[in-house]
Amino acid sequence: MNIGFHGDKIKDEGVQCTMENKGGQFLIEDAIKWFRSKSIFVVAYGTGCGAIEMPPTFTSRYDAERMGITGVATPRQADVIILSGYLAFKTLRRVIRTYEQMQKPRYIMTLGSCPINGGMYWDSYNTIKKLDDFIPIDVSVNGCMPRPEAVIEGFMLLQERIKNGEEAGWEKYDKDIKQYKKNQNRALGGHIEPSYETDWYNMNSGGVA
Amino acid sequence: MIEKLRSLSIEVEQKNEHLYKVSVDFQDLESTLLRFLNEFDYITLDSINYRDDIEDEKFCITYCLQTAKRNHVLMIQTFINREKATLPTMHRIWPQAEIMEREMHEMLGVDFPGHPTLIDFALEYWNDIPPLRRDFDTLKYVEGMDPFRKNQRDDNLDVKVEMKRIRAEKKAAKLKEEAEAAAKENKEEPDNG
Repeated sequence: MNIGFHGDKIKDEGVQCTMENKGGQFLIEDAIKWFRSKSIFVVAYGTGCGAIEMPPTFTSRYDAERMGITGVATPRQADVIILSGYLAFKTLRRVIRTYEQMQKPRYIMTLGSCPINGGMYWDSYNTIKKLDDFIPIDVSVNGCMPRPEAVIEGFMLLQERIKNGEEAGWEKYDKDIKQYKKNQNRALGGHIEPSYETDWYNMNSGGVA
Repeated sequence: MIEKLRSLSIEVEQKNEHLYKVSVDFQDLESTLLRFLNEFDYITLDSINYRDDIEDEKFCITYCLQTAKRNHVLMIQTFINREKATLPTMHRIWPQAEIMEREMHEMLGVDFPGHPTLIDFALEYWNDIPPLRRDFDTLKYVEGMDPFRKNQRDDNLDVKVEMKRIRAEKKAAKLKEEAEAAAKENKEEPDNG
């Protein structure tokens, strides 16, 4: 699998590299994956109850920074978003917007059972039931709420996947964008705000509607 | 303080050690709140609580007042009609009342004339009656609304049945393995006949 640094531009350079020196190409790709797995920036965004587990994870008690995981203020500079609990429909609109603002490669980690199947909010009138229908989840950490050790274990699993170059959620999102957008529009009644002028279905040809 | 209120012939009912209740008519609500703020120094509006008494066709609204000087909460309770429910807005006196009233408008459908921000709060694009009214059927609404909610949760399984199924599967796999091993042995034996 060929992951570019900033999307397609570097991908082309990677192809040129393959023509000249195949062994070197693999070495560079492996190095890029390894470096990427060791520098994970998490956007400061909390939904539901599990956001309370993030301060101890990132500060001196559990110190996730020793594994290269640290927080960042804005989605445009982040690699990972942690969805730490149930999502209301209002929150889902914001989460989709945040996720689409993040640069690729981007990953989603969820905490607890509510994003998986609704959890105790199964009969709620304002909570989504299965988050994976709307945006692709990379790692789900179980527990209600998971301790910071469990959160760090989830991060280590994510790092392992990045290192091995497994197919990530953002690639699925690009591939199945029609299905994801259909689901989002069905659940949110077509009100995904702000209304983008971006053509999400044809991102390769400029992406302007 | 409670003795002083009682001496002024205000009926105060004690609910528990730190909780007292004063019942007022709907018309006297605003003046009573102002009187408790100005005369008796209950300066903090703690919360506005509401209950749907659908049998009496009324909403029960309770304003909780307190002050840091006294170790009790004073509830001021009133009843309003369910149909065309309106209340005076208190956001000019207590700024925190703005968001409480906005929530009450969304969840109960109470109107507040003169309120500046009666727009969507937690429920965006809500298209039904307010959800905390008791005639709102949550289950019916959810089943009609969410296309991704199937008839059953994927983890809604009976443990006993699942254990039986898993055991039966294991047994079948073991038997199959044994049968395959036996067949292999039979094949490997040289045919003397």
